[in-house]
Amino acid sequence: MTPKLALALVASALAAAAVRGADSEKPCCVDDATAAGPVARISSRSIYQIDSTWTDDAGRAARLVSLQGRPVVLAMFFTNCEFACPIIVSNMLRIQEALPPELRAEARFVLVSFDSERDSPAALRLYRNRMRLGTAWVLLHGQPDDVRELAMVLGVKYSKDNRGQFAHSNLITVLNPAGEIAFRLVGLKSDVAAAARAVAVAVK
Amino acid sequence: MIHGLPRAFVLGACLTGSAGAEPPPAGMALVPAGNYAPLFQGKNDPATIRVPAFYIDVRQVTNAEFLGFVRANPNWRRSRVSPLLTETGYLGNWSGDVELGPRAPADSPVVLVSWFAAHAYARWRGLRLPTTAEWERAVSAGFTTENGAAEPTYREAMLDWFSVPTPLVLPPAGSGRPDVYGVRNLMDLVWEWVDDFNSTFVGGDSGDDSGLDRNLVCGAGGTGVRDFTNYPAFLRFEFRSSLGANYVVPNLGFRCARSP
Repeated sequence: MTPKLALALVASALAAAAVRGADSEKPCCVDDATAAGPVARISSRSIYQIDSTWTDDAGRAARLVSLQGRPVVLAMFFTNCEFACPIIVSNMLRIQEALPPELRAEARFVLVSFDSERDSPAALRLYRNRMRLGTAWVLLHGQPDDVRELAMVLGVKYSKDNRGQFAHSNLITVLNPAGEIAFRLVGLKSDVAAAARAVAVAVK
Repeated sequence: MIHGLPRAFVLGACLTGSAGAEPPPAGMALVPAGNYAPLFQGKNDPATIRVPAFYIDVRQVTNAEFLGFVRANPNWRRSRVSPLLTETGYLGNWSGDVELGPRAPADSPVVLVSWFAAHAYARWRGLRLPTTAEWERAVSAGFTTENGAAEPTYREAMLDWFSVPTPLVLPPAGSGRPDVYGVRNLMDLVWEWVDDFNSTFVGGDSGDDSGLDRNLVCGAGGTGVRDFTNYPAFLRFEFRSSLGANYVVPNLGFRCARSP
């Protein structure tokens, strides 16, 4: 373990303590990385080959591979976004509503922040509460290099301007239970119904 | 005494302000902190970006060096590499999984590697890929001064490369004339991956899906360009914006960087 990672884990543990202290309600998120059992063999087209460690909005360590086995609707965003991100999140909520009930319970809705600096687990927790995101939602904070790598896998372009705002691709990705990209919803005026159908097809 | 005081002051500032107090790591050169003027600017972007000092490889990563990485990381062999992380053609000029062969001389720049492969190599070495700002800052230096734009020989050398087709077998990495910092072949032999190549947006290409599009290239978007005479920079930005992280290209290699 690198000193940087060790430090990040200590920091996330502290953040977890702080968050849990403030609010005892336990959000449903990615399984704790340390508690995750052996995982099924990862497909060669799965994005779960990217073996980075993230922190969820409860301050717990999280690995993407623990989403394996479920359909996933994923987007990259940041909480200080003034324009596009609220639309992306609202489109994801509409996808969630469009799913049949059994899939709605099974699917996970994942938001990964571009903003490693400002979107701490606690900031993501506030965002969860503000947007009233349910237990199927997973909000992740990561190190800049891991954020860059995930963006590369998804095909997301982004850059930070001098006000700390991010210009970025507007993209919602549907992953099948193996973690393979099943559908990409590009742009803001998007066909949410098509994405919801893709989630249904992905689990077949 | 009165003369001595300001001099001591200046000396102290030099010692604390310079990252070059220790020699650069082997094979790397120090590019001191400086300003980088991006080719494209949105209305919220500053005219220049401050780039902290960094170390950069004096030459591109070679086939022999990349072979060392592939031997140590069997998942990066041609026959085993993930189709998610590279398109077909990865290391396509090598003779086999761990054989270079006649089209990939040991000391020539490694090419036909995806961004993921270059990124993994840099991580394995405990280094990273240079950022766009760092790379552009490095290439802005000339052979004899920090401002290559003011050196006709440097500008011509840069344009020369674009007029010559890439040879089937590449010349040795580091065979070019060093710039003022000691870095070689930034503007020739091959294009190079940068860590954040995906920060370059070009309208139309990405499905009108980003906020930056209107500032870049094509039609009136060209008004965002600050230096119309910097044709090589224009080409580099076009090239980067056309790439995907899984692409492999016969004249695209990379070099590594690190922070002091």
